Amino acid sequence: MIAKKLIDQAMKKAQGAQASINQIESTDVSFENDRLKSIKSSQKTHISVKVILNDRIGSSHTTDINDLDGVVARALESAEFGSPAHFKFPSQAKGPDVKVYDRQILPLTKDTMINIGDEMISLVKKYNPEILVHAGVTKGIVQQQFANSAGQSYTTETTKFDVGLHGQLTRGRDILFSWDSLTRKNKDIDHRQIAAKTIHWFKLAEKNVSLKSGTMPVIFTPAGLSVLTLGLRMGLNGKSVLLKSSPLINKLGEKIVDERFSCTDNPLLDYASRSESYDEEGIPHQITPLIENGVVKNFLYDLDTAARAKTKTTGHGIGCGPTNFVVKTGNTSYEEMIKSTKEGLLVHSVLGLGQGNPISGEFSVNVFLGYKIENGQIAGRVKNVMLAGNTYDALKNIDCIGNQAEWVSGALLTPPIKINKLSVIAK
Amino acid sequence: MEKRVREAAEAARLVGKEKTQFAEVPPVTDQITVRMKKDFRQVPLSEKKSVMEKYNRVIMDHHEKIESSDVIYRDTFRKVRYANSQGTYIEDERPDLMVRLSATARDGTNVQKGFESVGGGDGFQLTEGLEEKAKTAAQRAIDLLSAPPVTGGKYTVVLDPKLTGVFIHEAFGHLSESDFVYENDRMKEIMVLGKRFGSDILNVIDDGSLAGLRGTHKYDDEGVKTKKNYLIKDGILVGRLHSRETAAKMGEEPSGNARAIAYQHEPIVRMTNTYIDQGKTSFKDMIKDIKLGLYAVNSIGGQTAMEMFTFSAGHGYMIRDGQVAELVRDVVLTGNVFETLMNIDAIGDQIEFSKAGGGCGKGGQMPLPVGLGGPHVRARNIVVGGRQK
Repeated sequence: MIAKKLIDQAMKKAQGAQASINQIESTDVSFENDRLKSIKSSQKTHISVKVILNDRIGSSHTTDINDLDGVVARALESAEFGSPAHFKFPSQAKGPDVKVYDRQILPLTKDTMINIGDEMISLVKKYNPEILVHAGVTKGIVQQQFANSAGQSYTTETTKFDVGLHGQLTRGRDILFSWDSLTRKNKDIDHRQIAAKTIHWFKLAEKNVSLKSGTMPVIFTPAGLSVLTLGLRMGLNGKSVLLKSSPLINKLGEKIVDERFSCTDNPLLDYASRSESYDEEGIPHQITPLIENGVVKNFLYDLDTAARAKTKTTGHGIGCGPTNFVVKTGNTSYEEMIKSTKEGLLVHSVLGLGQGNPISGEFSVNVFLGYKIENGQIAGRVKNVMLAGNTYDALKNIDCIGNQAEWVSGALLTPPIKINKLSVIAK
Repeated sequence: MEKRVREAAEAARLVGKEKTQFAEVPPVTDQITVRMKKDFRQVPLSEKKSVMEKYNRVIMDHHEKIESSDVIYRDTFRKVRYANSQGTYIEDERPDLMVRLSATARDGTNVQKGFESVGGGDGFQLTEGLEEKAKTAAQRAIDLLSAPPVTGGKYTVVLDPKLTGVFIHEAFGHLSESDFVYENDRMKEIMVLGKRFGSDILNVIDDGSLAGLRGTHKYDDEGVKTKKNYLIKDGILVGRLHSRETAAKMGEEPSGNARAIAYQHEPIVRMTNTYIDQGKTSFKDMIKDIKLGLYAVNSIGGQTAMEMFTFSAGHGYMIRDGQVAELVRDVVLTGNVFETLMNIDAIGDQIEFSKAGGGCGKGGQMPLPVGLGGPHVRARNIVVGGRQK
């Protein structure tokens, strides 16, 4: 095992070492403007070595399988300038079972992948031949070897399947996009459903309507809910908490949002895009409750951050970011949510998310795919509208939560949520 | 190697149902060696680290409310070899360096950031003497703690040169990338050369041959020489950005704008250094008649969906009765390209090119170093996001 060889080499000088070798093969079929544009196959090897030498962290990466001595030497060399290590490499522990490999993915032929794209394009074209369509279908496999000097060692094999669709409709100077995509670790993606969703948002935008500035109820679709989860993801990051840039410091155990709101980090959902048995530091994955009935339960940590914060890693190495972010469902149907809205805004996608000061929970975004709700019905698309507010204030002000969750591109599983009122500026 | 070439050939066979065309360009052989004023490859890691530690201390020592800092140094030196079957062979050295100095201040649950950055290809001396910038970043974070969020609404907005650069990149630059147009008949109707996009004072240029900027190269990644391309001249659409494929399909000249972030990626149509050319109005004259407006300063970034776009300022100042007034935060602006360009009614008399170390993303290729620039610019009726009073 190459990883073990790298460890042995590093341990001649280092006090601790970790090595991983990832071999990635992928095939990508892409369509542009209704036609097959390119087919790309790629093979990549990533070798990475991390060492602890004189209590400092050193690391190095290479793509060259013939440069094993070099990558170890550079990792040792960089330790001299590395940041202090507050942790020890973890000892042997077996990760939980989670399904991450689907035998059906590798045998997929390029022709099959082309057919998936073709079929999605013709479905969109059938709805409206004026729409120009881009599509992509990707399959891949990652083989990983991992080992460290404390005895942790394993190999994993994961597959990946990705289907995406993007349509553009230009009417005069009115330019409209609609899209949908899904990434999974098994072949279980219904591409017709992806086409259907893309068409759904086009249909609702057949008419443009105007909206008056003011505060109003806002329904976030699962995709639109990224507006609210971004601040949470950043605020729940253990490193931000440690560095005191998160507004959630000292809030552990405190109720910060509506008691109907709960979310967890779950890397153990079979075949979900971010599911794995271990994190990047060889820590067995687990389910981490983040907010339960409105109360902050946990922050996300990697090894070094956890040691600095005097707590335990939650298996979120490296970087303390979430894997699959899962929001708990409520008991209102999406249809009921819309029906109960006299005048409001339905938000499906936005422009400019993450600019400004997202860690504070503040957002100020252009509503790209947004729809006016009038007397319980969707009246049409609104344009040139800005939506602003604060995630934490919004989640204190929940009207209702949808009873069905949906995957958004593969890393966020959430129901729609209706907020009582938010500030909307229209031109 | 043989297996990979066979796979590429199979892929080409499957894709080859329609003809792909490339615009003719004369074959060239060239070797470009860069000379940095102070070559960062000769600077020991320990020196790079100690310079950054110095700035980190400046930030952390600036004020008791500074909670954390983020000081990033990155340099890359790429040697790109480009060859094609038409006889072109180019060896090109591409150094790039960036420093980002960021400070986080906190007061209770109020967390604010200030940042400054520099970047470029001319050497390690770019990292020298940044103490003032570090202090500015720290002080801004402190100042923003007591600044109110901007009140949302429609304003006359004056953009500073940094923001002008991001604005024209997002609002118009992406629309002039021909891969959005060449196979799209409706977009061709919108983007007909000769159509008016702005008033007579507006000139927009993309120029990959300008010396010393982050989007500068002698050749693009298809071996086409970069040059100064007017996109808008005197308010009229006169040009667009091309790869060899889009140029051939549209029967226009290649512009030297096919760029790839690395060999794994295909060159696609990208901007190089994009700017609004300088005009005639002084900053003082620009703001003197504004009763209530917004002066938006420094840039966090932007995003476009062709017609609509957003861009975010690092911070802003209200303009009251012709004077720059109080500091405001959370300044995000939005617009509609066809309206906003028409609403530009004053262009400053001093142009600046940003040395900031950001990058542009498109088609999964990010970050691509691009240059941004322009003078102060005034536009009417810009929607600014935010809560209402």
